[in-house]
Amino acid sequence: MLENIAVSSSPHISKPLSTRTVMLDVIIALVPAMIAAVIFFRLYAVTILLTCIVTAVITELICNHIRKKPNSLGDLSAILTAILLALSLPPAIPLWAVIIGTAFAIAIGKMVFGGLGANVFNPAMVGRAFLTASFGMLMTTWTVPATINPEMPTITESVKSTDIRTQATPLAKSKEALKGKINASVANNLIKDAFTGQIGGCLGETSTIALLIGAAYLLIRKTITIHIPLAVLISAFIFAGVAYLINPDAYISPLTHLTTGGMLLCAFFIATDPVTAPLTTKGMWIFGIGVGAIVMLIRIIGEYPEGIMYAILLMNAVTPLIDRLCRVIPVGGIPNAKS
Amino acid sequence: MTANAKGQFTFPGGVHPPDSKTLTEDSPIQIAPVPKQVAIMLSQHIGAPCSPTVQKGDEVQAGQVVGNADAFVCAPVHSPVNGKVKEIALRSHVVLGRVQAVIIDVDLENNPPKKINPEKYTNGFDFDAISPLQIRDTVRNAGLVGMGGAGFPTRVKLEPNEQSPKKIMIVNACECEPYITCDYRMMLENPEQIIAGVKLAKKASESPRVIIAIEDNKPKAIQMMARKLRELHGTENIEIAAVKTKYPQGGERQLITSVLNQYVPTGGIPPMIGILVLNTATTAAIAEAVIADWPLTHRVVTISGEGVSNPGNYYCSIGTSIAEVLEFAGGTNSEAVRIISGGPMMGIAIADLDTPITKTSGAITVLTKQQIGKAKFANQQTPCIRCGRCLEICPEQLNPTKIAHAVKHELLDTAQTYFMTACIECGCCSYVCPANIELTGYIKTGKILLARQKKKMPQ
Repeated sequence: MLENIAVSSSPHISKPLSTRTVMLDVIIALVPAMIAAVIFFRLYAVTILLTCIVTAVITELICNHIRKKPNSLGDLSAILTAILLALSLPPAIPLWAVIIGTAFAIAIGKMVFGGLGANVFNPAMVGRAFLTASFGMLMTTWTVPATINPEMPTITESVKSTDIRTQATPLAKSKEALKGKINASVANNLIKDAFTGQIGGCLGETSTIALLIGAAYLLIRKTITIHIPLAVLISAFIFAGVAYLINPDAYISPLTHLTTGGMLLCAFFIATDPVTAPLTTKGMWIFGIGVGAIVMLIRIIGEYPEGIMYAILLMNAVTPLIDRLCRVIPVGGIPNAKS
Repeated sequence: MTANAKGQFTFPGGVHPPDSKTLTEDSPIQIAPVPKQVAIMLSQHIGAPCSPTVQKGDEVQAGQVVGNADAFVCAPVHSPVNGKVKEIALRSHVVLGRVQAVIIDVDLENNPPKKINPEKYTNGFDFDAISPLQIRDTVRNAGLVGMGGAGFPTRVKLEPNEQSPKKIMIVNACECEPYITCDYRMMLENPEQIIAGVKLAKKASESPRVIIAIEDNKPKAIQMMARKLRELHGTENIEIAAVKTKYPQGGERQLITSVLNQYVPTGGIPPMIGILVLNTATTAAIAEAVIADWPLTHRVVTISGEGVSNPGNYYCSIGTSIAEVLEFAGGTNSEAVRIISGGPMMGIAIADLDTPITKTSGAITVLTKQQIGKAKFANQQTPCIRCGRCLEICPEQLNPTKIAHAVKHELLDTAQTYFMTACIECGCCSYVCPANIELTGYIKTGKILLARQKKKMPQ
């Protein structure tokens, strides 16, 4: 009777939850944004998404092979990184750049640190930062969505270079407003279009409604907690609000800031990456406030119109420090405390 | 009814594992057959181990002391049966490893199975005729220990302390661990015995008030106890608190927070803030010791889990081997892959079926692969993704992942900066971990390593 009996440490039951379910939940939450990307950018969206996923899978397989580690594709984190990177790329980016960026994100952003759980920086943002640093021009060419440009090739047609019509994003307009060339209300008037997604921008960041649906799913499933998104959005709103109150002609409204330039994608899907965000609730608030503040500093004072990526990477770098400073205190208080 | 209970009936953190109590909650307590042999562990409690008071070949009577020691923090052990001492030998103990035990061959012809006899507790015992000190001495001599799991000698707990007199006594009837129903059945079948024990413990510990805490998924037990409290005399300052169903509600630190909205200091124990917590089974044993004048030799054990043929609640002799106890429940089936002393959250997996049950064994749970889960059974641990779920549910609000990883890398000092020794080992962190990391296992290991390290150090 004993031959089947195995021992192990308690507890002997566990919640039916795995890393794969956590990652899968985020991927499911990104489906509305992916659908919106395909609607607005058609063939670009499909090819970029597929290229990212295939490249990520191959890169992870190669890295595991070199490191002589078991296959880790089952945790779906490589595919999630690929989707997040794809959604934060401009539609007209050439596929060779997509391949380089994705391979860099997986290999240097994640695998050299030791794979999932050990990376310091968000891999998708590492890939994007690499592409921005290397091919700045490609990364700031914004294509007009298909709903505005009916000539955009459909999924079955091939892309001709003459089909690409570009347009400044609301945030690019905000920079012009800063310089006094136009009034900030021009950018603010785009907010209705930003809600559905009829503006220029990265594949996944344009449609506010799609991102909010995904965010609601993550919160309902308790895959993420509200702390980081709320901290990012509140801090960005306050910074943008102060600037807007000072000079509404030069600074765009806080709501425009929140709905454009990937702010929602960042707050709900990228900043909440558990591996690179703090563990404690207090730490999460500091992290989120930091992200929101850096984004706004870059957008309002800096030259660069967006800033999400740098804000995430900078705050990733201080995450270990935040974790160290924001320790949790046991319910019974610190033992032998004098008070 | 709950004028004294100031809490929210809940505590921070915690989890909701499937309670699986339907397997045994409606099965009345059955008297188990007399075993062929019993092994009475000489250490069934926290404190000094007993020395044997009998020798090989001695005839022993049921209820006779077979092991004792002079230490204050100690509880004697008794034979549950008439028989002959075969030898004093080592037996596996669930927690302590190999421990000395008195092995008694049972005289099968001269051994009627012991009954519970609820009628003894209903008719006129004079509670005023016995002094607190007499109760405490009887409790000591009857070998009573906390029967919920820790096994701390009850006499020591009951002792009044002048520096911090007992303000309140909580009877822990939560039974939050999945599968276990032994206390629940006792409350339904022998409420008079429990209440008599509560009254005696209240008197012995000089506690002015008592709260009996029961989880709100046991409405029948709450009704039964409330009705008996109304019917019986001398129950003025005894009340019932229906606490929220959440694991580990029955952890004494968590229960104190739930019921009284107070926190026991980290590293401290409830008496420091004037609170006494007793398990229901212990209170029943106090009544048996004082009113029926019988030591702690038998207890109700829930034998449950999908791996046993006839799950149920059995009144067993302490010292019966787990193999024999499982026979009462029809043995294990072919699916059984893990035998646990206790419940699935905090219980300890058994590898030796000759391990005898002790005063603290409330349950034997036999699980199948399906209950354990495929990944957990295969011990497939994946890297920590720092999701923070363990921090969220930790009832002590610790940082389990940091402690576990510090222990993994043998950094015990670092582990202590995250308050490793404050861990109550409830298992919630391992339960929720999506990466299947044995956080509780690492923390338990770390605590043992730290204790060893301290022993080796001078001073």
